[in-house]
Amino acid sequence: MTATIVLGKRALREAIRTPDALFMTMFIPIFFLIVNTGQAAELFPSESTDFLRGQGYGAFQLPITLLLAASFGMAALFLVEEIEGGYFDKLRAIPIPRYAIVLGRLVAEGVKCVVIASVIVLIALPFGITIASGVFGFILLVGLTAFWGVVYAGFMQLVALKTRSAAATNSGGLIFFPLLFLTPNFVPRDMLTEPMEIAATLNPVTYLMEAMRSLILDDLDWEKILPGFGVVAAMGVLMLALTVRMIQRYD
Amino acid sequence: MNETAGPAVLAEGLVKHYTGREGTVEAVRGVDLEVSTGEVFGFLGPNGAGKSTTVRMLTTLLTITSGRAEVAGVDVARDPDGTRRRIGVALQEAGLDPRQTGRELLILHGRLFGLSAPEAAERARELIALVELEDAADRVIKGYSGGMQRRLDLAAALVHEPEVLFLDEPTTGLDPASRLTIWEELRRINGDGTTVFLTTQYLEEADQLCDRIAIIDGGRIVREGTPARLKADLRARRGGDHEPTLDDVFLDATGRTRARADGEVQEVTA
Repeated sequence: MTATIVLGKRALREAIRTPDALFMTMFIPIFFLIVNTGQAAELFPSESTDFLRGQGYGAFQLPITLLLAASFGMAALFLVEEIEGGYFDKLRAIPIPRYAIVLGRLVAEGVKCVVIASVIVLIALPFGITIASGVFGFILLVGLTAFWGVVYAGFMQLVALKTRSAAATNSGGLIFFPLLFLTPNFVPRDMLTEPMEIAATLNPVTYLMEAMRSLILDDLDWEKILPGFGVVAAMGVLMLALTVRMIQRYD
Repeated sequence: MNETAGPAVLAEGLVKHYTGREGTVEAVRGVDLEVSTGEVFGFLGPNGAGKSTTVRMLTTLLTITSGRAEVAGVDVARDPDGTRRRIGVALQEAGLDPRQTGRELLILHGRLFGLSAPEAAERARELIALVELEDAADRVIKGYSGGMQRRLDLAAALVHEPEVLFLDEPTTGLDPASRLTIWEELRRINGDGTTVFLTTQYLEEADQLCDRIAIIDGGRIVREGTPARLKADLRARRGGDHEPTLDDVFLDATGRTRARADGEVQEVTA
């Protein structure tokens, strides 16, 4: 555990020392929030659109903004950089549990996502977006975002460990990225075309997004919130199991 | 340090195979080695001969296909963590975290080896002085020169006062002054009782530093002994007045010969 924390602190220092990467993590999702809201807000006026629960369209778009921001983690790219540069082997030659090398980065990713999600929500508040579920709901929203960030970064680290190549790790991100968009990110699931509704229903990220949206638009509705936590928990367990297996067998 | 009574490094029939789509590659084909405690042992060979693969097996970074190895009396395959506690490793191309400062990196390694935060900070201070990086210690490593990175890499390998120090081509790519600095540091480290296992492509380096050397070619050890003994053996076999150098021993052992062309010495595979 000590090794994981020590390596987590190092990864946080690394994140602080690459402000350009942090800026892009924040800028691109906020850019899409503004653009998507600007393009569709008139189609969905808050007064006559039931699914907005009286809020503006920006509130409906906030979950995808948070998920995007959490999916721009640099953990896997820093890891593959260390694999290519040789520092990963130096860490492997130290008597620590090998999984600590990747878990340290995931801990840092979680902390980073808490900060980023909080900042994005705080930026959104003056634009009329409110968290209908209150302070507790805000904490759950930030927590869900951070858990997703950790899970996503974990899967990307798996790609990094498997391929040991920065180019392949970048491409790996493109494989997972569509999952974020095969979701009801513009309208609720029942308003999607049938093929898209089927795809969204099969996509676990949908339940995460719906949980986050519920926290923003509704009071605490556990029927919608718990499936979101269930998805990140199940994906997190799978990711951790695969990560530990892969790093133990890394040769 | 040096609590081991037996050899510092022992390898018996060490084999490494890589299996891929194109079949099986035999990188190391039955290496036997014995390095005494306190020695500086040179491990030489042409590119692709199996030097780095052997070092990576001895340092727990690669699984051993067959055979066995002990380092500082610990079985490498059975007790990898025990082995890691006793070894220091500086691999090819000083692998360092470019975004940390030199001091942060050494403190990190100290903490990972189980030192408390104050102990790790004190050990970092000692090592920074040892490798003469006081002026650069609080700068990020990305800005270090190649020689400074090598010295820091060496310091990182010494954080826990290892019994055996593995150095894989520690001076490759360095200018002559930086190389001499590394040599001095290695002599000092060895003088403190640490066994040094060194791979190098520079035969002069091996001649200057090593008590004994082994030459590996095609995954097998083809010569082993003190530099003086290997040179004497070659002279005895060849006869004549020419005093062989370690280069001659290396070329003879690996089946390569010298050819002169336009005044330059070239190495030619026989």
